Amino acid sequence: MNFFTTLGLAFTSLTERPSRTILTSLGIIIGVAAVFAMLAIGEAVRQQVLEQANSTSTRTISAYPDWEGSRRSSQTRGARQFTERDVADLRLLDGASVVTGTIQSQGTMVSATADSSGALIGVDSHYMDANDQAIASGEGINDTDVSQRALTAVIGQTVARTLFRDQNPIGQRLKINAVPFVVKGVAGPAKAGSWRGQDPDDFVLVPVSTMRTRLGGANRTVRNNIAQIQVVGRPDADLVRLQAEVDSVLRRNREISLEVPPDFRLLNFAANIEAFARTAVMFSILLAAMGTISLIVGGVGVMNIMLVSVTERTREIGLRMAIGARGSDVMSQFLTEALMLCVFGGLVGLALGYSAKFLPFWGEELTLAFSLRSAILAFGSALLIGLVFGILPARRASRLNPIEALRHE
Amino acid sequence: MPGALISCRNLTRIYQMGESRLKALDDVSLDIEAGEFVAVTGASGSGKSTLMNMIGGLDRPSSGTVSINGSEMSTMKPSDLARFRNETIGFIFQQFQLLPKKSALENVMLPLRYRRPAVNDMNVRARESLERVGLGDRARHRPTELSGGQQQRVAIARALAGDPKVILADEPTGALDSGTSQSIMDLLVDLNERGNTIVLITHDAHVASFARRRLDFCDGRIQSDHRSARA
Repeated sequence: MNFFTTLGLAFTSLTERPSRTILTSLGIIIGVAAVFAMLAIGEAVRQQVLEQANSTSTRTISAYPDWEGSRRSSQTRGARQFTERDVADLRLLDGASVVTGTIQSQGTMVSATADSSGALIGVDSHYMDANDQAIASGEGINDTDVSQRALTAVIGQTVARTLFRDQNPIGQRLKINAVPFVVKGVAGPAKAGSWRGQDPDDFVLVPVSTMRTRLGGANRTVRNNIAQIQVVGRPDADLVRLQAEVDSVLRRNREISLEVPPDFRLLNFAANIEAFARTAVMFSILLAAMGTISLIVGGVGVMNIMLVSVTERTREIGLRMAIGARGSDVMSQFLTEALMLCVFGGLVGLALGYSAKFLPFWGEELTLAFSLRSAILAFGSALLIGLVFGILPARRASRLNPIEALRHE
Repeated sequence: MPGALISCRNLTRIYQMGESRLKALDDVSLDIEAGEFVAVTGASGSGKSTLMNMIGGLDRPSSGTVSINGSEMSTMKPSDLARFRNETIGFIFQQFQLLPKKSALENVMLPLRYRRPAVNDMNVRARESLERVGLGDRARHRPTELSGGQQQRVAIARALAGDPKVILADEPTGALDSGTSQSIMDLLVDLNERGNTIVLITHDAHVASFARRRLDFCDGRIQSDHRSARA
């Protein structure tokens, strides 16, 4: 009996009992679907983590004066801010590609036709780069604006829409906290997710020097104060090392020895990404365990039904042996049947797993990444299950004594 | 007797059943020539079925030898024995043993499917076989759509399809009424007259009377061996 006849035999045997075939392969179907979907989710998460790890925001270390964790002096005097010198020193670090210092506040903006209030940020010429934002029209704040304390502003998309409607905002007059400014540029749309719930396009940028002198951003104790510093690491930089270097520069400038806790805080988003990746890995492991258990349960189901089938068809097996089937012929007949059940279950399972893509709860962030490799892996494990759990019934069939088998009722 | 088609020498088969030993065949020697029609008779437990299992290559002797067409079977490997059964023996069973979900033609083809090297004209040969038993027009029918006599004819066609040296019939009329039995026996006589060697196992004296030689078994031994002209 050759390979194709054996295949045909297994195929007809399964199609003669269609509902049993479907029910038997259900466990395999679910297992393969779970494994396939799990691999796709795992891959999607991996890609997303990689993508985020390379983005500007992930490579950013932010420094804030710490008014909760610092010592007595700051409780009486308020947080000690950074200075322009800190920013300049941090720019000298090898691992840093962009460093920017800002002073943030809220402001009331009034144009000729409307008014609004929102984020008001004093910036230097590196701010846009550090936040991965582009200029949509006009120009950004440059070094001259900062050194001359120019009364110029760059506005976000939302502000442009609210205050100037259909007009071109460039060159228009704008009062910020009652100080007259001229709009110099409009920023491009911000990358989603960077502002946590607030409208990321609702902001006005002014030179940091103007912020201090005209808009109340100065500090009583610190000259050339800076409220927050962002250090963006180079793509190839070791962020842990860079953070240690930022820490040591700030400690040196602020005369804080290494033994005591600092009066500033360093935050980086890499930690968030890592936490997200860890959650994702846990989730994949959970799914993988579920898929594996389902595959094993499915395999046991296949084995059970094959054992029942061997018992039911004992006379058939006896007859086949009497008229010339070798033990190996019977063995391969039943093994092929078990494998074919798993092939069927595997194919349906792949389709079902793929349809997980259309489930509503992935959100826009996660696009399931199905690959040929994971399909082969999921399908292969179904075949392996078929082989492992098909051997016992097939062996039992092949070892029947034809005389007794023929007499079986 | 050299050149006999089936040759049994000092054939003994002992079944071990717990403590007790049952001698199903006790030192049986016999020869069957090509073209003979032999009925093996005896009460149940006389050893006739054991003899059939030995000749059919389904069981092995405890001692002694069985050879058919010059091949000694008692020492064959299981896979060679399977091949031997396929090529040399055509089985006919009391319960027909047809596969219920397959057509008559499929059932008749079954021995050819296990033939090595593979048979290319299985369909043609199976159809010829069915025509020889008078069921050429029932090839597409399933066993459940056929009468008992027709089912046994399909089984006979299956036995013939592999062109065996010996047809082994175990109570072929045991599940049939007397009229149908008569036609099945007529068919076997006809096949014998065309040259097929037939060994028939039965407990029914009337059925045995169709054979030209009658071996009567009792307690695992041959009690009598008659040859007669056909009735």
